[in-house]
Amino acid sequence: MTIWQKELDNQIWLVGVAGRLDQTLTPELEKTLNTLLTANQFRLIIDLSQTIYINSGGLRCLVAAWRRTHQQQGNLILFGLTPRLHEIFAMVGFDQVFTIVPTQQQAIQQFTAND
Amino acid sequence: MVVRKLLGKLWNRLVKRHELTVPGHYAQVQRVCQFVADGARRAGFGEDELFRIELCCDEAATNIIEHAYGGEGIGSITVSYQDKGDRFEIVLRDNGRSFDPTTVPAPPDLTTLPPDPQALPVGGFGLHLIKQLMDDVQFTFDARKGNRLRMVKQKP
Repeated sequence: MTIWQKELDNQIWLVGVAGRLDQTLTPELEKTLNTLLTANQFRLIIDLSQTIYINSGGLRCLVAAWRRTHQQQGNLILFGLTPRLHEIFAMVGFDQVFTIVPTQQQAIQQFTAND
Repeated sequence: MVVRKLLGKLWNRLVKRHELTVPGHYAQVQRVCQFVADGARRAGFGEDELFRIELCCDEAATNIIEHAYGGEGIGSITVSYQDKGDRFEIVLRDNGRSFDPTTVPAPPDLTTLPPDPQALPVGGFGLHLIKQLMDDVQFTFDARKGNRLRMVKQKP
């Protein structure tokens, strides 16, 4: 269970969530995202391919960061959601809010296509 | 007090109700979820439904700590489940202030909202999920017994 991060080309940061996005990992994800946002990094990709669970606290954390990236003309893009996770996002309408793509490559393209 | 507890345990055994009481700490929420999920698995639910049941228990227990008690370490949470043949019934009880989650309005329909970062709400989704994922949700408050949230899932 861990949160990891990696700098990609074109000022894009990749953040991964391996485990449960509930009280277990959300505080750490919040801290990681806040550190990046405070350092003016507003092009974020979140790898949820190893995220086995999410609750409303996890959703809240992601949407708060998404708001901050949008306020600075950036974006927070999600990829790799399992069908179970996707169902939860759809239930609260977040599938219409976030850009959700299947792969990391497609997430990168969302940023570079607009450069 | 002791007699009442013993009678309660006996009654639970008679009606095949399984019960667990934990302190109202976030670290205990997963224990509540696991306890119910184990029972639901034995009742015949598949992995997708177990995920949904677990999420509902998570949201319900978190709400008790956040709203009924207004913080961690204030009181305890009692969760019970019962396999009722055609349905699986989960009850969460606490002694915090009256908090009826079923009256909380649903968050705005995001599918019709433009993705405006200012307008997008960050909270209120937990209860919405419970109402969507469960077949029946009822709340009662009793000044002596406290809050009681009953969630029912039809069995597969």
